[in-house]
Amino acid sequence: MEIKMVNLTKIFTAKDKKEVHAVDHVDLTIPSGKLIGLLGPSGCGKSTTLYLIAGLLRQNEGHIYFEDDEVSEMPPEKRGIGLVFQNYALYPHMTVRENILFPLQNLKVEKDEAKARTLEMAELVGLQEMLDRKPKELSGGQQQRVAIARALVKRPRVLLLDEPLSNLDARLRLQTREEIKRIQRETGITTVFVTHDQEEAMSISDEIVVMKDGVIQQMGAPQAVYDKPNNLFVAKFLGNPQINVFDGEIRNKKVYVNNMAIASTKLADQKVKVGIRPEGFTVDNDKTSDFKFEINLVETIGRDTTLIIDIPGEEGGLLDKHSFKVIVDASHKIDSGQTVHFNVRPEKLHLFDLNGELLK
Amino acid sequence: MAEVFVKNEKVYKTQKFISNLLIFIFLGFVALVVLVPFYWMLLTSLKNTTMIEQVPPIFFLKPADWEIENYRSLFYLVPSGPRRGEPLFPFFTYMRNTIVVSIVSTVGTVLTTVLAAFAFARLNFKGRDVLFAILIATMMIPGEIFILTNFLTINKLGWYDIMNQTFMDVLLAMTLPFMTSVFYVFYLRQTFKQIPNELYYAAKVDGTTDFQYLLKIMIPIALPTIITITILNSMGAWNAYIWPAMITTKDEFRLVSNGLRGAFTDSGTGRTDFGQQMASAVLVTLPLLLMFFVFRKQIMRGVSRSGIKG
Amino acid sequence: METKNNWRAWLYLAPMLFLMAVFTFYPLFNAFVISVYRDYLPLANEGAGTISGYTLSNYSVIFNNQLFWQAVLNTFVLAFVSVPVSIIISLFISVGLKSIPKLKGFFQSIFFLPYVTNSIAVGMAFAVMFHRNHGLFNAILSWFGISAIDWIGGTATWWAQMGALMIFTIWESLAFKILVFTSGLQNIDKQYYDAARIDAASKWTIFKRITVPLLSPLIMYISITSLIGALKAYNSVIGLFGERLGGQPYSMITIVAFVYKYRSDFAFQGYYSYAAAGAIILFFITLLFSAMQTMVAKRRVHY
Repeated sequence: MEIKMVNLTKIFTAKDKKEVHAVDHVDLTIPSGKLIGLLGPSGCGKSTTLYLIAGLLRQNEGHIYFEDDEVSEMPPEKRGIGLVFQNYALYPHMTVRENILFPLQNLKVEKDEAKARTLEMAELVGLQEMLDRKPKELSGGQQQRVAIARALVKRPRVLLLDEPLSNLDARLRLQTREEIKRIQRETGITTVFVTHDQEEAMSISDEIVVMKDGVIQQMGAPQAVYDKPNNLFVAKFLGNPQINVFDGEIRNKKVYVNNMAIASTKLADQKVKVGIRPEGFTVDNDKTSDFKFEINLVETIGRDTTLIIDIPGEEGGLLDKHSFKVIVDASHKIDSGQTVHFNVRPEKLHLFDLNGELLK
Repeated sequence: MAEVFVKNEKVYKTQKFISNLLIFIFLGFVALVVLVPFYWMLLTSLKNTTMIEQVPPIFFLKPADWEIENYRSLFYLVPSGPRRGEPLFPFFTYMRNTIVVSIVSTVGTVLTTVLAAFAFARLNFKGRDVLFAILIATMMIPGEIFILTNFLTINKLGWYDIMNQTFMDVLLAMTLPFMTSVFYVFYLRQTFKQIPNELYYAAKVDGTTDFQYLLKIMIPIALPTIITITILNSMGAWNAYIWPAMITTKDEFRLVSNGLRGAFTDSGTGRTDFGQQMASAVLVTLPLLLMFFVFRKQIMRGVSRSGIKG
Repeated sequence: METKNNWRAWLYLAPMLFLMAVFTFYPLFNAFVISVYRDYLPLANEGAGTISGYTLSNYSVIFNNQLFWQAVLNTFVLAFVSVPVSIIISLFISVGLKSIPKLKGFFQSIFFLPYVTNSIAVGMAFAVMFHRNHGLFNAILSWFGISAIDWIGGTATWWAQMGALMIFTIWESLAFKILVFTSGLQNIDKQYYDAARIDAASKWTIFKRITVPLLSPLIMYISITSLIGALKAYNSVIGLFGERLGGQPYSMITIVAFVYKYRSDFAFQGYYSYAAAGAIILFFITLLFSAMQTMVAKRRVHY
């Protein structure tokens, strides 16, 4: 089921009568059968978007279509969606079985069929043994799976998940991540989930949608967005450690950072912001490169060595920070205090104009 | 396909409108039912006997037809009988008594409550939880059980002297037994407990005594709760009926509720003057309603707490 | 620092405990004692009181007293009908209030008015409304072609009197319950309602399967405390019927009224003990319901 949003806008009015555009003229098409991660910092409008798709919130402007059906004005129960809430919202007084059965009873599904479908769902999420327990007697991960089963049992057109992993501890998170991916694959249902955790989104989504201030910044396959960020915000939001951003300049088809030439370009002369991923540096053993720094700290973990380089004040032209990170292969023997010359991998180098838009 | 859903949307909106309208009508009806007795009280108090006895009853009265005489006559002096020389309904005397009793008992209650709540919330002592549980248990005991002995106690203390009871006797008898409230202790203790421990330890480090801490830190912080307790408790005297009637030997010592019943039935004919009766009811009801309009938030907050306490 | 407080704590408690010892704990104990006095005259000899021994016969005297059974019947019918009815009505009202948030405060204030009024004053207003000839109730009934009923007068049937008392009692008791249920509803996580909408639950299903179960601990608690409160009915009877306690003398007597009737006749030998015995019986009835409430409170931990 393809979900299409056209010019979607949601305005909240705060207590001081100020209007906040939580979702601002969003045009977005979510392809059928895919797992899509809506990603962004808190307050970016991702949850609002999800609730608009669910129908729990009503848009001020715009339209939502499921394939050819316009659902914009439809109440949530008519839209045929399954929603997993951040805190799961399992009914505390009902058993797992009753929780999963509840939507079917409301839809007046015949008793035998409802029973069979409940069992089928319990099997899908691996909770056959837990059917007669109350939510309180389950672990966080199990509650999560009940919530998914309850959302899926009515065979919705679309599955929506609101921060599905935020209430789980780190170990369960990894496990549940895989679980969600598996369930989505097995059912083939169009799934949208909301998260503020870029790693989470990148690891399980078929495509990610990055949002900021109610506006969509970029959409695409996780690696594609990571490799080709549309703007500085996306570049900075994805990737851990974060991308290093320097103040730079283009002169005579060369990119300079702090008067060190680091790469060549076809772009015209101008001031730019230079983004280089930590893994985009290579050590220049010939020491011919212009781009050199004194290393402050060396951390070697497994295959990688992280070099931490301090740049006090304005000198290095580093943005917002006093140090930056470089990840190189652990085979290099580098000590702190040493000065290292670097080359930059062109595909890991991104040039932005002063407004943060990618220069092409 | 799209058309089907457009229809759906209209149906949905109409349904929502109708269901909200039904709810509104239902609540409006209940509101009417709640208000009618007040209206009828006021209406009857402004009717003369002929109007009252008219069938079917008069539902509206022009201001020109209002019978203010009902109110005025309450203050006429009784010409004969045991209450000779007193006003028919000594509203101002009762009112004064009620206000005095209300103030004294409230001051006392707030005092005992603050001290006890502080001990239960802040201090450690052997048997604290057991004692608290016992006190909570007393809330369930019907008050009638205490009244029997309390009446005898009041008598033993000499406050129920049929020959020469003074207002001071009455005041003590009316207030002392009601100067404690386990519920208010419970309520205030909850508020006190929300004040972080660190504040207490910080004050201790600064050399503050417990009592200073209570006075300077806890009471100011818990003031909204204490105000709620004050308001709720002072309203209690307006509803007190049986106890004031029991321990007063003279009419002039009674409280407003006591004056309401019986005074308006002519002992000769057995006929009740409903106009006068309702006029007195209005006089008794009005101060309470005024109080409610002024302190609506505090009253409703305090009362809703008593429901959630379990 | 923790244990040093010991004697100081008792100092803070002293005023309350002293007053309670005199006016709560001693009277509780003494009520049992009075109830087994023989031929008690409480105020003889300047308040010293005289007795001629101890006996349990005071209890058998009131058990053989038809008025006592009338009081028990009236009280129980009143409590066991008015409490469930008022709880159901106030639940519907509270849920209704929830769906019109804009007018909620306004309606809530109106619904709360009966709580802040003198029940005797309002009871008298109800008595006027229930008047056989020119009351409001019969006027409304006449619109539907029903002939006048004597609700509270000398020829009123027991059913009519109980009906009138019931209407007044429910009217009075709605205020508190609406307030408590409304704030109870506010404490239910909104997500359950969102989830239920997603799950396509109808309004009635949401009420029946979400709201009521989630509110059930509070409903149970309020049911039992209201029941205990209703068993102590007295002021409402005085308000509606006056000191006569009924259309016919004592026809609407309650257990508490029974206690007070015998108490006020303290000049008769032994009557004070009958009052005490009546109060003790009431005490045990409320104790029973309190025990039930404790059990329910323990059980509800399970969800």
